[in-house]
Amino acid sequence: MPPILRLIVQRISLALVVLIGVSMLIFAIARVIPGDPARIALGPNATVEQVEILRETLHLNDPIYVQYGYFVRDISQGDLGVSLYTNRPVTIDIAQFLPATLELVIVAGIMMICIGLPLGMISARYKGQFIDNLLRVVSLLGVSAPSFVWAVILMLLFAYFLPIFPVAGRIEDIYVIKAVTGFLLIDTLIDGNIDAFFNASWHIFLPAFALALSGIGQAARLTRANMIETYNKPYIEMMRAYGVSQFRIASRYAFKPSLIPSLTIIGLDFAAMLGNAFLVEAVFAWPGLSRYGVAVILRKDLNAIVGTVLVISLTFVLVNIIVDLLIAFLNPRIRYSQRPK
Amino acid sequence: MSDSILDIQNLSLSFQGLTETVDVLDNINLSINRGERVALVGASGSGKSVIARIILGLLQSQKGAIVKGSVRFRGIELEAATGNQIESLRGREISMIFQDPTSSMNPVYKIGTIFHEILNRGTHNISKKLALIKASKLLEEVSITEFKRVLESYPFQLSGGMNQRVMIALALANKPALLIADEPGTALDVTVQAQTLKLMHNLVKKNNTAVLFISHNLGVVRQFADRVYVIYKGRIVESGSTSSIFENTKHPYTKALMNAVPKITSKSFFDASDDSSLFKQPAFHHKDREIGQ
Ligand SMILES: Nc1ncnc2c1ncn2[C@@H]1O[C@H](COP(=O)(O)OP(=O)(O)O)[C@@H](O)[C@H]1O
Ligand SMILES: [Mg+2]
Repeated sequence: MPPILRLIVQRISLALVVLIGVSMLIFAIARVIPGDPARIALGPNATVEQVEILRETLHLNDPIYVQYGYFVRDISQGDLGVSLYTNRPVTIDIAQFLPATLELVIVAGIMMICIGLPLGMISARYKGQFIDNLLRVVSLLGVSAPSFVWAVILMLLFAYFLPIFPVAGRIEDIYVIKAVTGFLLIDTLIDGNIDAFFNASWHIFLPAFALALSGIGQAARLTRANMIETYNKPYIEMMRAYGVSQFRIASRYAFKPSLIPSLTIIGLDFAAMLGNAFLVEAVFAWPGLSRYGVAVILRKDLNAIVGTVLVISLTFVLVNIIVDLLIAFLNPRIRYSQRPK
Repeated sequence: MSDSILDIQNLSLSFQGLTETVDVLDNINLSINRGERVALVGASGSGKSVIARIILGLLQSQKGAIVKGSVRFRGIELEAATGNQIESLRGREISMIFQDPTSSMNPVYKIGTIFHEILNRGTHNISKKLALIKASKLLEEVSITEFKRVLESYPFQLSGGMNQRVMIALALANKPALLIADEPGTALDVTVQAQTLKLMHNLVKKNNTAVLFISHNLGVVRQFADRVYVIYKGRIVESGSTSSIFENTKHPYTKALMNAVPKITSKSFFDASDDSSLFKQPAFHHKDREIGQ
């Protein structure tokens, strides 16, 4: 088996193990927190008999491992059960809310990479000079406050005092966009509605930026440190001795080796944004998975809780696999070694 | 000396620290003629590498480095103090071989890509295809027959000796007039080092490339160089043709170096004096005939 294929198989099997573990854990936790889901779902006016009937249909009276058995049987058929909150299949609910969250996180991730990496490169290139010190202060600011604080600050500054950006939502109501992917930035383009596309971009900018800020700072700091280390390597001195231009060294020959150690952390930051997105969504009234997640937790909506957590874990794990493969793609040592690491 | 390729005059270097200034080079004079192989020999820390880095203009941008004196290449002043004039010559007219070939090639690019980049210095906008064809020929010249595999490999996939051959091919790729070799192959096995040195020797002779050969080992130098400069603590203490240096050694430091060359036959360790106060004696410059005249 070629090493790269072996790596993929290995990472995917590891991911499966992680997902099974997470599912057991959340399955158990959702059931230990106090409160009877059936009672909450039916409300205070329901009779004891009604509650008991619902408990029976939900298998809540069975031992927990039997319940888990039902859960595994259902999930293998792509069925996450029905939400007691919306009375719809959990999969449909998630399919509705997840794209908004993913879109936010992906745009933030792109910002993190497209802003953070160049800032770090510039800092390293002008190490110790004014521009470096300035950029270092900026990136320190970025990492020093959590994203929901940035969300509030940015909203106050650029949506309230200076009303440049909208305060809430994904797009103005006047646009009716047919959902194809669920990503508004893509669906508006599919529709050919450029106005709507700009409107959606304009809406996503502030929340995505707030979400990205700490990642931008982190990426810039890491890239700076790794680039500075790389600049001291003999192979960079060699390139300089052979007259390869500063720009080409910075953008290619020093950049790629420095990117590899940064990537793992950038991947982790990216995954962490999935969690931070919940708070940023709350500040900007972003109709994403957070609304749904908070609502179903408060109602002890078992199927919805487990489904939401699983989908987020799955995204998390997928991001990690992608980052691992990216690192392997960039780093020939990993790609060609038979064993990982 | 119209035939001079490199002419270093009154070169001094000091590093300005926070509290004190450290003098590293003191009034270095060194010249190399067209096609001449010149060795610069001294203990580690004596200032050999900094001379190479000043010639290439790699040291001048460093904070606190103060360079004084003149470096001329083919009679053109390189403005050693700033190193600004050298940039266009790097990789074209002057190239360099480093101590450890494997760590001096970028680990995340294939040898073929590195060749493409370097050849692009000589022939601007050379296509990858043409570069690889040229690289194959260059690799054949350093006795690499499986050049296809080598060009497709990353440096860490090849042996040190193989990388050293690649490095030599890279250094000579754009037919430079001057090659600086800073302790080439010291990181390799002695036998491999000897093989690659011989290879390098044959190639520079064939191409009539002038060489500044830096080493801490006088023994290695003898076969290679036409002329030798001996450096001790940033000062040239003896210079002359290789035969004068070896057969008519004048300076106590050179004698000490000579005795430090391991001799399998010798019974005792060193016969040399280790009284370093002797090494402060004035420099001795042999009045040899000009080489090649
Ligand atoms: N960048 C630098 N900053 C400060 N001191 C340096 C620097 N580079 C070299 N030196 C000092 O200059 C002296 C000569 O170094 P070098 O030329 O590398 O010696 P070598 O003869 O072993 O090649 C050493 O004492 C070293 O500590
Ligand atoms: Mg050295």
